[in-house]
Amino acid sequence: MAILGRERKADWEVVYEGVNGLMDLYADDPDSKGMNAILKGFREYVHDLFGAADEGRPIVWHNCGCSPELIKGLEGVQSMPIEVLTVLQDLVGDSRYVMALIDEAEAHGLASEVCSIDKAAVGSVLGGLYPEPTCMLYHNTPCDSQVAAIKTTAALTGKPMRLMDVPYLYGDREVEYLARQMAEGIPFLEEHTGRKFSWDRFRQVCQESNRTAEYLRDWNDLRRHTPCPQVSKIVALCTALLVAFSGDPEGTAIARAFRDEARERIERGESAVEGGEKYRAVWYQDPLWWDLQFYDWMESELKLVIPMDLFGYYAPEALIDTSTPESMLRGLARKSLSVLPMSRQFKGPIDNFVDDYLKMCHEYAADFGIFAGHVACKHALGGIGLFREASREAGVPLLYFEFDMFDPRVTPAETIQAEIANFIEVVVKPQKELSGAARS
Amino acid sequence: MSKDDILATMQAAIEKPRNAYLDQWVAEGRKVMGYYCSYIPEELFSAAGLLPYRLRGAGSDSSAEGDAYMSARVCTFVRHTISLALRGELDFLDGVVLAQNCDHIRRAGDLFRKKVRPSFYGFLSIPRAPKERVFDWYLAELRRLKAELEAHYSRAITSQSLEEAIALHNATRERIARLYELRKRESPPVTGREALTVTVAAHVMPRARFNELMDDLLADLEQAKGNGGYRARVIVTGGVMDEPEYLATVEKQGALSVAELVCFGQRSFGNPIESGPGDPLERIARQRFFQVPCARMVECFDDQVSELMRRMKEYRADGIIFQRMKFCDPWAGDGHNLYWRMKEAGIPFLSLDREYQVAAAGQVKTRVQAFMEQMGK
Repeated sequence: MAILGRERKADWEVVYEGVNGLMDLYADDPDSKGMNAILKGFREYVHDLFGAADEGRPIVWHNCGCSPELIKGLEGVQSMPIEVLTVLQDLVGDSRYVMALIDEAEAHGLASEVCSIDKAAVGSVLGGLYPEPTCMLYHNTPCDSQVAAIKTTAALTGKPMRLMDVPYLYGDREVEYLARQMAEGIPFLEEHTGRKFSWDRFRQVCQESNRTAEYLRDWNDLRRHTPCPQVSKIVALCTALLVAFSGDPEGTAIARAFRDEARERIERGESAVEGGEKYRAVWYQDPLWWDLQFYDWMESELKLVIPMDLFGYYAPEALIDTSTPESMLRGLARKSLSVLPMSRQFKGPIDNFVDDYLKMCHEYAADFGIFAGHVACKHALGGIGLFREASREAGVPLLYFEFDMFDPRVTPAETIQAEIANFIEVVVKPQKELSGAARS
Repeated sequence: MSKDDILATMQAAIEKPRNAYLDQWVAEGRKVMGYYCSYIPEELFSAAGLLPYRLRGAGSDSSAEGDAYMSARVCTFVRHTISLALRGELDFLDGVVLAQNCDHIRRAGDLFRKKVRPSFYGFLSIPRAPKERVFDWYLAELRRLKAELEAHYSRAITSQSLEEAIALHNATRERIARLYELRKRESPPVTGREALTVTVAAHVMPRARFNELMDDLLADLEQAKGNGGYRARVIVTGGVMDEPEYLATVEKQGALSVAELVCFGQRSFGNPIESGPGDPLERIARQRFFQVPCARMVECFDDQVSELMRRMKEYRADGIIFQRMKFCDPWAGDGHNLYWRMKEAGIPFLSLDREYQVAAAGQVKTRVQAFMEQMGK
């Protein structure tokens, strides 16, 4: 399927066909406002990216730990997360194409233990699937695998790259440090894109980012409702929204649609689970992105809903103060350190990672937690013992399994289904019955 | 003492977590500070009257305690070291200072803090780009650590004590540099296995005693005949490498390691810290921060390659053996990138993944033998 009137590489055409097909499928469904909005956003993103490439406008690559507002402060510059094709392919295209990209990177010598999204990003670069960047702006979060990926993309393209060093902790000193690096990064962006950075434009971008954030906060609150009003699979899409659309009106439109859909369904007394939810769980660590229907299966077969996961959780930190250039940079730095999912939880001490989980379990009235251990997340798997202890102390049953969030060959869906079903039967159900009996 | 005696002494010092010199230090009522990485300057500990002790997993026969807290996807080096700590085999440590060197060590830090609970726990946030624009952050981190050490140990770390520590550690650097200089000879007087034994020992012994041993060793080596029976000269690079026996397996195939640009090898020492004037802590920080960068560092890959190429020439190496702990992501990226850069340059390059405390001798032998054939040796 041609994109903007031109034939493109097959991988992109599959994505484009997929997103258009899904838009047709959901178009007439009044209960799919959120899904429709994000699908529209994905299609617009593909248009923007290829539009920029066709017009010869500068494209700046960034990684998922780097929120794109700073890049969007440059007029006519297109930002592109290096993970974009992998995410779109898994969500709306064909995951077999992702597997091929993973295989290509491994065949080129990248170790198999590197994160599959990073391998697929490298595979995308090797396959010439991305429009050439004028430069790259990266953060060293959320993990070491990203560091491997950003060094590799720089080595493969030979394009200028700049790192924003994201420190270990989250305080005011760290905010100042990162904000200063952002300020110093602006001349780098200007030099390599040939475009001027505009503080007025940046202010508009940050204001838009704040509007998105406000809708997401409301949406987070609404999903605490019992029964959960909205399907589970939409939660994890929040991170894709933030990485691609922060500072963009499209992002605000998606966040508003998420919020409106949840609110309207609550008003109508509707549940995400047909026939009523029986179980609620916080899905922690990484979502299962290669088959969103997996979430449908949990709802229909187990009457299990995921009101919140790590990728959907929008931390209630301060919005970006847009009053001065300095306050905007500080606000963006704070967002990068303390709000952006993954960067918030993965980078610092284990306490942040655990505390967010327990807070979510409490706020979303979870019967149990699901620790979906993406095999490449060594920071998470390295903390699993402490995580389990904290869960036990808090009295929250925890299911732990390892899988790959972009590669279904590592742990098949059937295996994960059996794990969850068995855990509910053996642990969660008896516990619920016991507590129900105690209450009566 | 003869070369053999000194090497035997150093070998004994690195086989287990404890060694006689360390025990004597502790018996004298002095304290030991553990750390993982060369971006944490030993000089600060020495200036505080502490023995710097680089954490290793030597002597660990099981990673069971670590396995209880960490998935098998965390590298075995970290799981062994934390297992030793959890078993109490590192109880001679009064404290540890860790950093976010990598995701694995970061989580080891959490376990030290929450489960091992040493008397002193310090943590440095070390920037991931060796650039002037972030050097002040690194220096500020060291100043913070210095203040924490002073408060905890009720002891001022003065400019004088820092200068003395610089002199002590520079003496080690000079001796290590002389050792490496000898390895440039046609017939190097030490093997890679022996040289790595020396550089590892430097990390777990009181430096003054180490420097004395080095004087005797160097005096002996300067007169020694050398190892001429090799088929190829190689540089070993990559991440953590503190297992001389691993190099012995490589060298038994005729590939003499003439330089180890690894953690615990030459990379951990670098050039001497400049003498004054100026703030000694800043001079220490500058030398450590701008050392030959390791894979955790970004925006410096060309520098890493240049250093490797320079050594290839200086040591007249025929090829490079790259070794990496399984599951190490930073070195996975660099391993890939180095492979292609060396291929472009026509330099033979062998990449080996390994597990800690597992010799896998058969596998290594086969790979190295094939590498020798590839090099036409």
